[in-house]
Amino acid sequence: MADANDVIKGEEVTLEIEPGMNILEVNKKLAQKNKERLNKHNVKAIDIMGSIGAGKTSLIEKLVQKLKNKYKIVVFKGDLTTTIDAERIGKHGVQVITINTGRECHLDANVVAKAVERIKIEDIDLLIIENVGNLICPAEFPLGTDKRVVVISVTEGPYMILKHPFTFMNADVMVINKKDLAQTMKIDTNQLENQAKEVKPDVKVAVTNALTGEGVDELIKALEL
Amino acid sequence: MHELSMTTQIVETVLAEAKKHGAKKVIEVKLVIGKMTFLGTDQIGFSYKILTEDTILKGSKLTIEEKEGTIECPNCGYKGTVPIKDDPAYHIPVPTLQCPECRRAAKIVEGKECTIKSIKMAK
Repeated sequence: MADANDVIKGEEVTLEIEPGMNILEVNKKLAQKNKERLNKHNVKAIDIMGSIGAGKTSLIEKLVQKLKNKYKIVVFKGDLTTTIDAERIGKHGVQVITINTGRECHLDANVVAKAVERIKIEDIDLLIIENVGNLICPAEFPLGTDKRVVVISVTEGPYMILKHPFTFMNADVMVINKKDLAQTMKIDTNQLENQAKEVKPDVKVAVTNALTGEGVDELIKALEL
Repeated sequence: MHELSMTTQIVETVLAEAKKHGAKKVIEVKLVIGKMTFLGTDQIGFSYKILTEDTILKGSKLTIEEKEGTIECPNCGYKGTVPIKDDPAYHIPVPTLQCPECRRAAKIVEGKECTIKSIKMAK
């Protein structure tokens, strides 16, 4: 066989290489590194995903209020722009780092690794990451957290789980928020819970009202915190 | 939804490989995309065309092979394609991680690929 470099001038030689690189694997490996780093310092980490307006920030506010005496908490807040949510969470006396993604529809393990550089990892024991408001893309990019939570709310309609099964396959815990509006919206939260368990039999479910804090203790239990 | 950024990474990887091998032109790129990802093959093709416009990849053929999702059950050892639940009450067939043998939670083992399988290039 002739060497690819050993050719008569003017002739075109084609090379077929098989790099076999999985582009998504790059994120997964970085996520694994994040996980090892957090575990080494005994930091528990939680990734909170869900649509815009599902109530992720309100839930985090309630989680922080209930857990800040038990854990030293840092919150990473993913958003395209603005620090509005970071200010909301920061009012409860915890450090919040905003990760503005610009155009990107999700956080990835790389931006989380950069944010971890900016905290004193030795001084904390709980990291809560609020992902970009989006029910789809974040599920594709693990960040290296111990638990992944998907928040949906009854105002998003009865088909959230059936329409996005792949998102729920990536969740350890599902929150059904705005339970106080379920009757008005004619939504049966039990039915949503059953659908989630059909897609992912081992998912844990908490039904909440993030404004009053109802159901947040169940969520804390589901997160094993 | 993130096909553009994923395709950007694919194009950058191919360009780096082409440079490494001293190629003047890329003729064909073969990808494997798993059906359990959130990546649409049409959108990848569209992004690829735009992103390769001013590069040595311009005009190259993009072939995308789709890979079925496979699950494996840690409980009973079942391995097979992702089961589809076709409950008439749901109106649409819904994929599930429920093991068809023992009903417990299975894990995805294949179908999450976004892999550059091969690159054909000319010197």
